[in-house]
Amino acid sequence: MAVVSGLSAILIANVLIPLAIAIFSSGFFPYKPLVSGLAKCEDLEQYVKPPFDKVIFMVVDALRSDFVYSNASGFTFTQSLIRSGAALPFTAHASSPTVTMPRLKAMTTGSTPSFLDVIFNIAESDTSTTLAFQDTWLAQLRARGDRLVMYGDDTWLKLFPGMFDRSDGTTSFYVSVSRQSTIFLVYLRYQVKPTLQDFTEVDHNVTRHVPSELLQDDWSAFIMHFLGLDHIGHKLGPQSSHMLRKQREMDSVIGELYASIEREGHLQSTLLVLCGDHGMNDAGNHGGSSSGETSPALLFISPLFKTMGGPRHQAPIDIPDDFQCYKTVDQTDIVPTLAGLLGFPIPLNNLGVFIPDLLGVWHSYSQRTKVLLANAKQLLRRLEHSFPDHKITVDQLPGRCTTELLTSMHEAQCAWLQVMSLVDNSISTGDQDELEPALKRFLSSAQEVLTNAASDYNLRQLLLGIGAMALAVLLLLPHAYKQLSISMHSGAFFAGLIVSYGGMMFASSYVEEEHQFWNWIFSAWIFLLHVKVASRRSCASSEQLPISNGSFSSSMAQYATLGLFATHRILRRWNQTGQKFAAEPDIAHGFLPTHLYILWLLVIVTYVDICVHLSNGYHSSKPWRLICIAVTATAFLFKLGSVVSDFPELLGTTHIGTLKQAFNKVPLILLSRIVFVGLLLLILVTLYSRKITCKKGPVKLGMHTRVMHEALTLLLITQSRTTNIPLFLIFRLQAVTFASMNLSGIELTITSLLMQYMTFFAFGGSNAISSVDLSNAYNGIDHYSFFLVGLLTFVGNWAGPIWWASAARRLRYRQTWKGREVHMTTLTFHIATSSLCVMIACATLRAHLFIWTVFSPKYLYMMAWAVMGHLGVNLLGEFS
Amino acid sequence: MVSSPASPTATGAMSAIHVNNNSSSSSSSSSSSSNSGGGPPPILKSSPPVRILPSQLARIYSFAHPAAVLLGFAVRFPQLVNDPVSEMLNALPFLAASQVVFAIICLPPAGGSLDNTPGSSSSGATPSGTSSSSSNIILRPGRPARRKGGSGGSGGAGAGVGGGVLGGLGGKVIPSLLALILTALLATPVLAILLVLFGAPFTTHHAQTALCAAHMALLTAVPLVYVHGVDGAVWREVWGAGRPADAVWGAALGTCVGAWLGAVPIPLDWDRPWQAFPITILAGAYLGFAAGTLLGRTKWVYGKRLRFAEEGELADKKRE
Repeated sequence: MAVVSGLSAILIANVLIPLAIAIFSSGFFPYKPLVSGLAKCEDLEQYVKPPFDKVIFMVVDALRSDFVYSNASGFTFTQSLIRSGAALPFTAHASSPTVTMPRLKAMTTGSTPSFLDVIFNIAESDTSTTLAFQDTWLAQLRARGDRLVMYGDDTWLKLFPGMFDRSDGTTSFYVSVSRQSTIFLVYLRYQVKPTLQDFTEVDHNVTRHVPSELLQDDWSAFIMHFLGLDHIGHKLGPQSSHMLRKQREMDSVIGELYASIEREGHLQSTLLVLCGDHGMNDAGNHGGSSSGETSPALLFISPLFKTMGGPRHQAPIDIPDDFQCYKTVDQTDIVPTLAGLLGFPIPLNNLGVFIPDLLGVWHSYSQRTKVLLANAKQLLRRLEHSFPDHKITVDQLPGRCTTELLTSMHEAQCAWLQVMSLVDNSISTGDQDELEPALKRFLSSAQEVLTNAASDYNLRQLLLGIGAMALAVLLLLPHAYKQLSISMHSGAFFAGLIVSYGGMMFASSYVEEEHQFWNWIFSAWIFLLHVKVASRRSCASSEQLPISNGSFSSSMAQYATLGLFATHRILRRWNQTGQKFAAEPDIAHGFLPTHLYILWLLVIVTYVDICVHLSNGYHSSKPWRLICIAVTATAFLFKLGSVVSDFPELLGTTHIGTLKQAFNKVPLILLSRIVFVGLLLLILVTLYSRKITCKKGPVKLGMHTRVMHEALTLLLITQSRTTNIPLFLIFRLQAVTFASMNLSGIELTITSLLMQYMTFFAFGGSNAISSVDLSNAYNGIDHYSFFLVGLLTFVGNWAGPIWWASAARRLRYRQTWKGREVHMTTLTFHIATSSLCVMIACATLRAHLFIWTVFSPKYLYMMAWAVMGHLGVNLLGEFS
Repeated sequence: MVSSPASPTATGAMSAIHVNNNSSSSSSSSSSSSNSGGGPPPILKSSPPVRILPSQLARIYSFAHPAAVLLGFAVRFPQLVNDPVSEMLNALPFLAASQVVFAIICLPPAGGSLDNTPGSSSSGATPSGTSSSSSNIILRPGRPARRKGGSGGSGGAGAGVGGGVLGGLGGKVIPSLLALILTALLATPVLAILLVLFGAPFTTHHAQTALCAAHMALLTAVPLVYVHGVDGAVWREVWGAGRPADAVWGAALGTCVGAWLGAVPIPLDWDRPWQAFPITILAGAYLGFAAGTLLGRTKWVYGKRLRFAEEGELADKKRE
């Protein structure tokens, strides 16, 4: 396989890595354009008299279809309504992920949220994860001046802030629990003792509002979201006795609502919708895509339906294995159906289709076709928006529609052409018999095209991306193997690291707790280095090894590992990250904010330390020292100023008033710009004087890199949170210790790699999008700029890795070009294999419950590591 | 792991003359090469790997012991999960007793062999006491004799304990007492510190950490102290993890590596009660102890050392 020489293999692999990432991303995050704005009532002649003016929308969390329809169900009254024809039963297919928030989006906008939507929603600040500016049936009702009320799960309140006139939200404590139950651990049930209060209280909070709201006539949408059934499912499973009791309770709510609809005059034309947002599996959990989880019940209830005619349904029925009771519709179909029944424009992004069984409420045939036509036109616009290449016009080869149809897109086109010709026809002849089936055909084919475009990954591109990355790995494999087999133990360690890290990418908890892995493997690495140092001492005579380059004496090197252990232990406790132990006390959030003097002492010591190193760095001349002191002082002032404005709690209460006044006048942006420009100046001066000394001869070789390194440190400190600044002191200690250990090339490479990953997490990073620290993203910038903000965010979040890349570069200053090649091969091999594993994990686990919350954020982080951390920092650093 | 800070300023020692049946001569000779310390480099020869006593009982019991320890741990596992602190505390005496019994039955005591005369064992029972040129004689074929470590500096402890009183049984009782005392006073705190350094909670779970360290100390230190006493050279090797493999060192290293591997299941989101802090660590330690005891004796591993020096030299060569 060693067909490519070492250097060109590195080159090709590093071209392949971003290429593979780009290809994979395009398949992994399919482009799904959303239309913004609200749909408007267009032509008045389309107007159909709506049979209902009010809707009671009752969501029962995790209401699987069999809970309502089976023989063992507690919904006896509801079943009698089905038998009488007043309730129309369906199974509403809920697509994965079957958790509440995306499902509510589907049920209100009519569209399925795509992968990237969710990522962006998490990345956005908490207030903007809303549907407030999207076209939903709630927004449509609101737009025409109607009032809405809402009781139950406060997810609604988060999604629709300010939408409801009256509301009372209940928090679901199971949001976090359902995140924790992974698919491969579904068999391990939660052994939590059920408290009856949890099951009853959440729903009592809703039902107590029902009688009073039913007496009010000011609302036109009354939304309820009951959580108790989901809680029982999570704790006791679908078979528990509590489940039946809860179903009876829900049934009595339906009974109360239905009785008022029949009794009260102002509720005369009120539609009652009962639905689950998702189902549950046999263990009572949800989130995945098993048939139990994707099959919630959906019922449209009104006395009006009794007069509709059509086939009467049996109830209860035998439940099929796949839970598809009665007719299966899509969950998004709720949206156009409500639009038609309540008479408002269909929301723009809707992918649903009016449920044909409900067409019977209109007795006139033309009204039915008008409803369907409105739906069809909306879907057509959506289709044209999603596929701008496919223009659907009349002159487009109608002849081919008679022959065999190849794609569903083609089918939709032909169905629309047929609809158009039939519409023209009906205007002239008045014959509409064929229009309804044609419309239905178009609607179903358009829905198919749109749904697939919205949710499917482009598998071909996923495979192509994986293939490209695998090629990069294969190219490097012979070289990496050759180099690693030379240095046996480090090589074995590195191989074990790569294998275990790659395997870890397939387990959601290990992705969440990645910092544990690096801490764990790093302590093993220190141990190995310790053994090495100790055994070298015991077997090698002193003239063999030049132990002279560290500031530690050789005997100190033996205990250096103890120092490394101790400092590492402090580092890993500095910021708690991950999921499982994130809430536990740590130094940055627990200790330092309560011991402010220690914090500021450490911060000041760090700045002074840098100032000393900078000014001793190159010249000893006075102007150089002055510049150094000025830049460091400005950087410190800037940090102080930003703390005053953003984190005043870090200054205590005593001095805050005076400091605030002092910093009111100082523009922080100017200060940070001075820091950046000053650092640039220092570097330029150093580069310039290097040129001069190079002419004189290599006297102070390595000194300029020292200045560069110190300048970089100051930049990184400026981009770090205040509580993280003392970490740089610890880093410096560790770097000195490593220098005293006289490590070989490959050992330095592995140390650099481990320190980069370990410190990324020590700064508080994790694999969750929410842990991206944006507090320093706008230093020195007064407007949003994608490139600058992105760069500053990267520097701020990857401060530890960048520092260690630079520090390790300095530790390797004696290395020849050959040694650097080994270094680059090893690092590239690591990043290629880990990227490959993340890609394979994302591709194979794309139906996994946590694909949105764990694996795809990991993929985004991996992109940052590979493109910025590897190509931008590690490789560029080699050539500087 | 323990006594290296109190490293002796010591003196030369006799090189061990021993026949090492299975291990390659190269490994044992390279093991005893010179040492470049901070001061004048003392040439210390450390003791060779230890063999299980040749008696039939020792052979059988040396296999039965790790199995029994593991079995006991497995049987008490539910109680451990229920109440780790009290269960670990209650199990301590049993573990200590079984380790001492194992040491007495299967291992050669520090400072001498079984059939040493009282005179020679008195010099042996103060293992690091005097730097006398004591006998390094193969007393029995196939079993290497104990070398008397010449280390005056750390000899205080040994001399204090070993005093001189010794009879036939004393040759076993004194080392086991020494082992228990050192385990409690030195090995447990050191292991607790190591546990914290490797990531055990520092501000909470003190009882758990201490008890876990006590268990690990019993597993690792009792046999080591019993066999090697306070021989400075041996403990320096232990500090550098450079002992040649045998049942005793295998058990010690296996316990520590097992404990390290025991941390693996903790981050999983299974929410099992056994994922609580010391339980998986302790389970790993016990498994590692059993595996290490058995593995360290096999002829493929016996006498080999954990060392990494070559790679540096190789890499240096390669660089040139």
